[in-house]
Amino acid sequence: MRAKLFLFLLLVLTAAFSASRGSVATTSQHFYRDDPHTREPESQDASRAAQSEIGDLYEMLHNLFVTPKYKPSGVRAENLNTIDEVPDSSWFINRIGARTLTIDEVVRGPIAGAPPDPSRWVILREKLSGMHPGITARDAKGETWFLEFDPPYYPEAATGAVVMATKYFWALGYNQVESFLTTFDPKRMEFDPEATLRRPSGKRTPFTRDDINSILENVARRPDGTYRVVAGRLLPGRILGNFRYEGTRPDDPNDVVPHERRRELRALRVFGAWTNLTDLKSKNTIDTLVTENDRSTVKHWLQDVGSTFGMCNDRYEWDLSWEHFYEGGSTAKRLLSFGFALSQWHTVDYTERPAIGKFEGDEFDPRTWRPQTPTTAYMEMRDDDAFWAALRVAEFTDDMIRAIIQTGEFSDSASARALGDIMIKRRNKILATYLPAVNPIVTPRLENNQLTFDNAAVRAGVAKPPATYRASWFQFDNATGDTRPLSETTGTTTSIEAPRGLPTAVDSFIAVDISADAKEHATWRKPIRTYFRLDADGWKLVGLERMPDRRADGATERRAAR
Amino acid sequence: MNTPFALAIVSSLLIGSAIPALAQAPEDAARQTVIEEAQAQKSETLQPYVPTKSERLVSKFESTYVYPTQTWHPFFDNAYAGGGFALGAGYMTHVSAYSTIDVRASYSIRDYKRVEAEFVSPRLFNRRGELSVLGGWRDATQVAFYGIGTDTSNDNRANFGFERPYASGVLTVRPTRRLLMLRGGLEWTRWDLKSGAGSFPSVDDVFTPAQLPGLDATATYVHSQGTVGFDWRTSSGYARRGGFYGVTAHDYHDRGDALGFRQVDYEVIQHIPILREAWVISLHGLAKTTWGKEGQEEPFFMLPALGGGSSLRGFSSWRFRDRHSLLLQAEWRIMANRFFDTAVFYDTGKVAPRSSDLDFHGLKHDYGFGARFHTPFSTALRVDVARSDEGTRLVFGMSPAF
Repeated sequence: MRAKLFLFLLLVLTAAFSASRGSVATTSQHFYRDDPHTREPESQDASRAAQSEIGDLYEMLHNLFVTPKYKPSGVRAENLNTIDEVPDSSWFINRIGARTLTIDEVVRGPIAGAPPDPSRWVILREKLSGMHPGITARDAKGETWFLEFDPPYYPEAATGAVVMATKYFWALGYNQVESFLTTFDPKRMEFDPEATLRRPSGKRTPFTRDDINSILENVARRPDGTYRVVAGRLLPGRILGNFRYEGTRPDDPNDVVPHERRRELRALRVFGAWTNLTDLKSKNTIDTLVTENDRSTVKHWLQDVGSTFGMCNDRYEWDLSWEHFYEGGSTAKRLLSFGFALSQWHTVDYTERPAIGKFEGDEFDPRTWRPQTPTTAYMEMRDDDAFWAALRVAEFTDDMIRAIIQTGEFSDSASARALGDIMIKRRNKILATYLPAVNPIVTPRLENNQLTFDNAAVRAGVAKPPATYRASWFQFDNATGDTRPLSETTGTTTSIEAPRGLPTAVDSFIAVDISADAKEHATWRKPIRTYFRLDADGWKLVGLERMPDRRADGATERRAAR
Repeated sequence: MNTPFALAIVSSLLIGSAIPALAQAPEDAARQTVIEEAQAQKSETLQPYVPTKSERLVSKFESTYVYPTQTWHPFFDNAYAGGGFALGAGYMTHVSAYSTIDVRASYSIRDYKRVEAEFVSPRLFNRRGELSVLGGWRDATQVAFYGIGTDTSNDNRANFGFERPYASGVLTVRPTRRLLMLRGGLEWTRWDLKSGAGSFPSVDDVFTPAQLPGLDATATYVHSQGTVGFDWRTSSGYARRGGFYGVTAHDYHDRGDALGFRQVDYEVIQHIPILREAWVISLHGLAKTTWGKEGQEEPFFMLPALGGGSSLRGFSSWRFRDRHSLLLQAEWRIMANRFFDTAVFYDTGKVAPRSSDLDFHGLKHDYGFGARFHTPFSTALRVDVARSDEGTRLVFGMSPAF
């Protein structure tokens, strides 16, 4: 115990000391030869990982009454590489924003195999997750699927939401279930001899036709007697239960970054706001143990993203996406005012259609958007995490958004059009909110004695170009971390001439602080620090630190609330 | 993973990525290696996830009370209204996939006792019907009686007691699954009246059998009833919209042919949500009318009554009794959040000797304020403070007022 405590103190002190940046000399190597790394290694065998589930009630109570009191650490995400990016991992694969995705690719999304053959369904058991009614069944080809139906008051909407959301979240980088829209015909249904259903008694007894009827009576039925369903392919590997939005799996050796400090989990606050993924809880995630070449690793999935685009547990959940299930402040306001202190959700205008739930873009504010219950990762999101997420949202073109919506196969074209309009409005609000909130300089390059970069906020059309860009140049000693000022250059465009006298020896390093003078954006004056290493082909970007000093939901949000 | 070790790992990664610096790393070291070392270090201390104490506690509660299969449970229902705070326990077990038997008992601070067993089969007739079979015994020691009519005095309270064994079966059928509700029931019960306990005089010291039919009797009833109703509330346990409109006819057949009577109840409940359920106006009307069978009289203890936590809340239980009763209630409910409502309410009503007297003259009134903790389909706790011209009363309940 004492030895571990000593190790802990030593490492914390080391981290604190080395965290002080600038020209303080250290005796540490700053960049490694493989920086920036693009893949988070999974070096250890995780075959000892065991199944563990989080209880619904516990998670809700914890997230409603404990998590809101969680004080965000303000600490930068810890699964980043040296250029402020999230490397590929078992959690996340860089797709949109990292490479050019075609519309066809995005529309295909996570689909890797053939769709189900609905000419016959063999019932196996109940559906084990998801908010809408469903079953687990085998198709005519013998493959197992999870089938989910539409509620009668939103025919097409719930199934469409699942399919569309899996495309969005796949493109954003998350592991997604392959989901297809298909048909369930009760006349072509049979029961597996071993099919069972867990009863309230706790026992599993044979699945009966009445059990199916009890589901079908409460879902949307087509005029021809068939049912539109979304079929989710069985995930490969052994199911390990849900992942949590804080801490690490104690039985997974490769899981060494606390989940609340994983940028892709923090960023779900932005992606969730865009798609209205309100049921943002651990119960909708899943870990699987995948074994390849005799080595097992844990893969992390956003398993159920169906609570998107206005889909909810019942049609009267007016406060969904505007408030957590419980918020002390708004409760007190309503109590003291006898309910006359109306919230935004009381009056926001929805145009509800069969294919769209309570989903709108005019009054949407990404900073005040709320999932049903907050998570620790949600609480930990900072402006640099939100900026990173917004960069990815910005990559979705109007055409791409509308193409994904077409995969919802809505019979009402006006609904599809309206849904596209809403998504575009929400995208634009996310860009306008998060891109200018920090110094938005991206993709710095040093070529031909010119420092060039992009301004993400200007490029997205959500901010005017600044009057001036500034670059402060330093020689950088990678062994000690020492910096020595070289020069300062300025420009009015996103291309600034490099000063004379830059190092010429291979493996030399320089640091460049880039800032912008823009009246409307004080945060742009705070430079991003970039690092370049000279190799045989020229200067290569090896480091980028954006490091804002306030939380994403800090001052700006408070102003918005007022 | 214990906390210091977890933080040590975190710190080392913090060093390795966001703010790069690792003491004494060799020149040719790789970021990959640094992370792999952390993973190797963790692999030596792997352990299964151990739920926290609070997680275990909540999970136990959830499995016991939210998704019970068989369990001991608390039981707060009183033997009879007016018995004061009751505490008890029950044991519920499934006898088939959906059917349950619950054996339970309670005891109240006024010495009321209740012991019963109930079998419930909720999925008869392709989930259109529910059968409840109930048998038990109740002992109420100090049931209030203030005389007959609305103009009785609060000062004239007397008490009576009874013991009552009972056995009943009630079948509820929803032929169309929604909306239409049919209910039929048969009950055998025997009322053994006894002198009232408590600080008030006993009824038999104040009244004679000639003044109060049934005072000296032991009545054995075969009670049959039938209800036709339209019910489109989300749940009878808690609703913000929908309504219930129903009529129930009762026949109380006294085996001694002395105290037989008939009764008809007319009930209306309507919940009106306003502005996306910022508020809900809930309205309730209930009229009960009885008449004795030929040559028989209604016993005083079975007369329709008003007063108590679910009718005229500002009056004590059983405050007004007569052959006919009218109760009108309105609540202005304020939805504070998904689990908590408050309400301002107004109750009014009267009892009368003739049904034609059930008009709006001479009504008794109360008003008050209440708070309710609830789930989407049930009321966990209702606390009402009601004020009438007879004082202020505090009501605790585990069901809606209506």
